[in-house]
Amino acid sequence: MKKHLTRILTLVIALALVFSAMACASAQSAILGNAVQYDPAQPVNDGQPISIELWYWTGAANLFQAVADEYSALHPNVTITLVENPWDDYWTKLPLALQGQDGPAIFNVHNSYHENLIGYMAPYDIAVEDLENDFVGVSAHVIDGKVYYTDYGMMTATMYYNKAMWAAAGLTDADIPTTWDSFREVAKKLTIRNDKGELVQAGFSFNGGAQGDVLGMQYQYGQNLFTQDGKVSFNNEAIQTVIQRMKDIYEVDQSGDYNFGNNSGDNFGQGMIAMYLGWGFMHNLLKSNFPDTDFGSFEIPAPSEDVPYAYHRYNGESTFGVNKNASAEQQAVAQDIVRFFLANDALQKQFCLANSVFPAKKSLAADEDILNVSSIAVLANHIDRYIWPGPMPSAVENNMKIALEDIFYNGADISTALQSAEDTCNQELAMGDFVSVEPQYQYAAEAK
Amino acid sequence: MNAIHRRHPLRSSSEVVLRNLVVCGLCCFFILFFLVPIVVAFLGSFHLWNPLKGQYRFNGLTNWKMVFESSLFWRSMGNTFIFAAVAVLARVILGLLLSCALHSKTVRFLSTLRTLYYLPTITPMVAVAFVWKFMYDPQFGLLNQLLGAHINWLFDARYAMTAIVLLTIWKDFGYAVVILLGGLYSLPTDLYEAAGIDGANAAQKFRYMTLPLLKPTILFIVITSLISYFQTYIPVMVLTQGGPGTQTYLASYIIYDQAFVKYNFGYASAISFVLFLIIALLTGLSFRLSGQTEKER
Repeated sequence: MKKHLTRILTLVIALALVFSAMACASAQSAILGNAVQYDPAQPVNDGQPISIELWYWTGAANLFQAVADEYSALHPNVTITLVENPWDDYWTKLPLALQGQDGPAIFNVHNSYHENLIGYMAPYDIAVEDLENDFVGVSAHVIDGKVYYTDYGMMTATMYYNKAMWAAAGLTDADIPTTWDSFREVAKKLTIRNDKGELVQAGFSFNGGAQGDVLGMQYQYGQNLFTQDGKVSFNNEAIQTVIQRMKDIYEVDQSGDYNFGNNSGDNFGQGMIAMYLGWGFMHNLLKSNFPDTDFGSFEIPAPSEDVPYAYHRYNGESTFGVNKNASAEQQAVAQDIVRFFLANDALQKQFCLANSVFPAKKSLAADEDILNVSSIAVLANHIDRYIWPGPMPSAVENNMKIALEDIFYNGADISTALQSAEDTCNQELAMGDFVSVEPQYQYAAEAK
Repeated sequence: MNAIHRRHPLRSSSEVVLRNLVVCGLCCFFILFFLVPIVVAFLGSFHLWNPLKGQYRFNGLTNWKMVFESSLFWRSMGNTFIFAAVAVLARVILGLLLSCALHSKTVRFLSTLRTLYYLPTITPMVAVAFVWKFMYDPQFGLLNQLLGAHINWLFDARYAMTAIVLLTIWKDFGYAVVILLGGLYSLPTDLYEAAGIDGANAAQKFRYMTLPLLKPTILFIVITSLISYFQTYIPVMVLTQGGPGTQTYLASYIIYDQAFVKYNFGYASAISFVLFLIIALLTGLSFRLSGQTEKER
């Protein structure tokens, strides 16, 4: 009897061990993702050792380390070497490295360098429909039926406000402005001048980067940035209205000054200004550089309470690129990493939080942790009303910067300065291959 | 006499081999790092050229035409001339004054002062420019604090170029001081003693002896400074990015902007060659002046 009991006990223990091992194995090999799926149980490179390089620019090493670590844990036969370069160097070295045989198999992409990279990229081994099912904004990235990279997150401009200054001016959450008229009134209340009339605290400032703000606000009036024949349009009524309003905020309302600080982002952190229109990345930058500044965010105001054609433009934070000149084996591993990254919600979330961007992955749109970031949360209601004009070359922002400085600092006439910038910009765009994707915007039919 | 002419100036064959090796090495260096890039850039100026995406398409004289039709380029050339003229003049005058002061026998801590004056010259321009950017800040900047002014140095068209010139003068005057000080030490003292016996005062000695004798050194500084200032772009890149508007665009900044921001290497090459011709012309002119001075002496 005792012998039987021992046998039964041994059998039970053995079965328990087998089941727990099976459970572990199934946990490890659980398929990730929805439409874009990743099966960790599938061997990579037939389980044979292989090394690849992953290139990225300085700023978020921990994110790429996380991708490499998690992937290598699933596939110990793959060695991923991370190569970091400063931003400026990266965009010179990367395209040159991709021309040869020894370039990185996988690399971080920024869409503003699309033209220099696209010729070296291999299309994703993932069906476009699957990508579209999981991510928003994919259609704007489709080239001849293929996707070479897409967005994991959408970054745009939101209004940051200093909470202490807000309270000191007697303002509450109910005063959050939704139109430009109410915004101007709030800005006036937040402005402080001393006895001599000198500005002590600006209600609003756009100094040192207004081109990023202006290139997007014309959408609020239904005006696209590019014409149907592919040219840029600066000198139009919408942009003139936007610039005139900016001038009026300073010159009529006296809520700011062209000479009160030269970098509104830093000046906001330094406590010089109460409101500032900044892009998503500023959220984490302000937190780390100016931890004592308590700030909140609200969505960019619109001309009226009606939902506009688009609130502003967004720029996508891009997914990885795969080097078409890498060996077939390395490309296969790179494609596998891309699939792993796209299917992995935890990694997607990590990347979105680190860059303060609204997730492009639909499954994360209502994620609590992400919506706890104020600059992201304010976009949630209208995220479909932000437009991506395409991977704009730097000529567009550079020429708008010149026009705005001529208007704000050199006293140039708005229309003359915009026309000059438009002419130069179109001359420079003619040297490249840029094509606007504005017509692919969901509400493109509403444009003027 | 004939025998002397026929004799090889080098004594042994090993010296000849060494000479040939050194000359060949230098030739290779210059061909590889100067001649080839110049030829490549010249050919590139006739192409729509972006090496980063492997684009190299012949477009004839388009780039050259664009250069000559660009109002920005000619405005930048005007800015460059003014910038170079003021900076060179200030460098020479400041250099002369300080080197003469240091040359005086009454000055103590000569080595320390010489080192201090030369220190900005050996400091990297990017680092210097960033520090000066803080100094020019309209709210917190040291310059406004010292002057009790409210000037937005980098965004006011009246002051932006002045701000760049001031930085450049501060950064570079030490070079002129050291070179001119070397020149002053090499002047014959017996001439000054003779002039003193003849009753010349200090001002006369400076006007009629020091200045003429230092002329080759001054010309050297003028030529090297002109070449260097016509290629200036770092302070513009760090301080103003050419602004406000295009008020502080210099010719070399356009080249940088076109080549390394907009990747229009063909257009940038065409501008480079126009700038190269202008610098060559100015340098030739300076050498000609220098040659005339030598003949006068």
